[in-house]
Amino acid sequence: MTLKYAYFPGCVAQGACRELYMSTGALTSALGIELVELKKGSCCGSGTFKEDSQFLEDSVNARNIALAEELNLPLLTHCSTCQGVIGHVDERLKEAKENNPDYLAQVNGILQQEGCSPYRGTSEVKHLLWALVGDYGLEALREKVTRPLSGLKCAAFYGCYLLRTQEHLPFDDPYNPQSIENVFQAVGATPVYYRGRTQCCGWPLSSYATEQSFQLAGGHLEEAIAAGADCLVTPCPLCHLQLDSRQPEVANMTGKKLGLPVLHLPQLVALALGIAPKELGLEKHIVSTKPVLAKLGL
Amino acid sequence: MQVRFKIFRQTEGSPPRLQTYDLDVEPGTTILDCLNRIKWEQDGTLAFRKNCRNTICGSCSMRINGRSALACKENVGSELARLQRLHSSAAAQTTDALPTITIAPMGNMPVIKDLVVDMASFWEHLEAVDPYVSTGARQVPEREFLQSPEERDRLNQTGNCILCGACYSECNAREVNPDFVGPHALAKAYRMVADSRDATTTERLEKYGEGTQGVWGCTRCYYCNSVCPMEVAPLDQITKIKQELLERQDDQQSRAVRHRKVLVELVKEGGWIDERKFGLRVVSNHLRDLRGLVSLGPLGLRMLAKGKFPLSFEPSEAVEEVRSLIEAVQQLEAEAGRIEATKVQESPVPVGG
Repeated sequence: MTLKYAYFPGCVAQGACRELYMSTGALTSALGIELVELKKGSCCGSGTFKEDSQFLEDSVNARNIALAEELNLPLLTHCSTCQGVIGHVDERLKEAKENNPDYLAQVNGILQQEGCSPYRGTSEVKHLLWALVGDYGLEALREKVTRPLSGLKCAAFYGCYLLRTQEHLPFDDPYNPQSIENVFQAVGATPVYYRGRTQCCGWPLSSYATEQSFQLAGGHLEEAIAAGADCLVTPCPLCHLQLDSRQPEVANMTGKKLGLPVLHLPQLVALALGIAPKELGLEKHIVSTKPVLAKLGL
Repeated sequence: MQVRFKIFRQTEGSPPRLQTYDLDVEPGTTILDCLNRIKWEQDGTLAFRKNCRNTICGSCSMRINGRSALACKENVGSELARLQRLHSSAAAQTTDALPTITIAPMGNMPVIKDLVVDMASFWEHLEAVDPYVSTGARQVPEREFLQSPEERDRLNQTGNCILCGACYSECNAREVNPDFVGPHALAKAYRMVADSRDATTTERLEKYGEGTQGVWGCTRCYYCNSVCPMEVAPLDQITKIKQELLERQDDQQSRAVRHRKVLVELVKEGGWIDERKFGLRVVSNHLRDLRGLVSLGPLGLRMLAKGKFPLSFEPSEAVEEVRSLIEAVQQLEAEAGRIEATKVQESPVPVGG
């Protein structure tokens, strides 16, 4: 059976991380996964809508989920933050359906008033990582590998929202997750463990508490390097912006030499499927990914 | 069953070492009872805090298998089940070794001995939010201080805090910002803001929104919500303080406030966020802050050089619908007040002390 998802691209993959959009497309088409892009979707608010109003976050994301429900498909995102925000809204509204129907009626009331489809609570909100591990399956993925990433030491960077916003996670323990490391092994790479892999990258503070924000990022990068990582791999484009795009500034501030390439999760998996680096936008990174490609003989 | 405990031992100022103790215990035994048995039967020098044994006093918080929790609340069976779930999914596993539980002291606070940490900064930070209901509005002896059951119910969730330190121990923001007062203090701060008897709400909000020692110092790592043994959900309380601040302050108040306002503004304009405008409006304050503008320069140039800078922006196909929805939500809440997602807990949970 073909796997099919309502694809929620999010803001960053359409903006400063277009290489993520490219690589998700390349990976899913190589695996025969069908994506129906939600062109009418909107920003999830990245945790900030809620600081304005919970009802705002819930209404906007109920609308996003309803777009997937209209297609009778699970919603798929390649962003830890989008997954955590929309998944948490889905969890809360499903619970409201049982225990607080008045609140759900208010959400659906405003959606109806605005001519949007109602939220029904019939979909699921999945990260690409979960689709790979849970739906496609690691065994099936292993069979698709044509270029095992042997000898490549990869350090996962999960992103807070994927691990700790929701009460129920399909596989991972929020303090000691394994799913990305399991993907590493499926594609022949070697997982590297370090404390920072479950921690905050510092992105939410970067616009106004830059020094603290960079200290967080710098600490994780240094630890991963000390643990012997050839690269970081993240399922979150906001973490990527912080850890890759701002890495030179982080290095300047901490005074430590960094230069650790940061890959998006689908880029790494797609490399193992034999997809060309150019199709994955690997040249669009601030920290050069050439050392990773060299290690793979590319 | 035979269980192995690996415990971090440390004396002040010296590096930690791991010590191993094996115990024969029932799965239902709490971690605290295990520690007591180790201390009483094997090694009297092991130091840890304890008191009520019943999730009331908050003394025995420590890192159990990688996250801060109360030793009296967690038990051997559930800890091993958690580890088993982890190991069944990991490729590398050792099958013949004893099931092992690792215990370490809390983080973000210096170790005094073994599992006992110096909580001075934790208490000082609590004190910094002025965690007492003000008496300014009290008119004694004319009348007593009245509070309706509904008003009291708003304090139940935050009132459940037992000040165990688990949230503070895991707080990512506190790790890089020693001035950040932490999730426990800000949950208490919201408890004061929400208290109908307190007469200093305006002053409190001003204080809690200053710099990065208060709510804007939080990096939303969600650890506090995740580890709290009493379901106080400190991050949710921090969020409620932010809501009060955003309602009262405009985007010139600070860059942190502007960050929030601009994000909503941009979603109304494009459905998705145009990241180019985000930087310009937030950091350079609509080109008014030249130092801010200059600080964006190197990042922008690097991104341009790598072909990473987004030269175009494609709005959502339903941008009008999204804008109209956000405006409708804003209008409704402006007229009817904040629409709450969760019902207030109705029956107060008795708190010891």
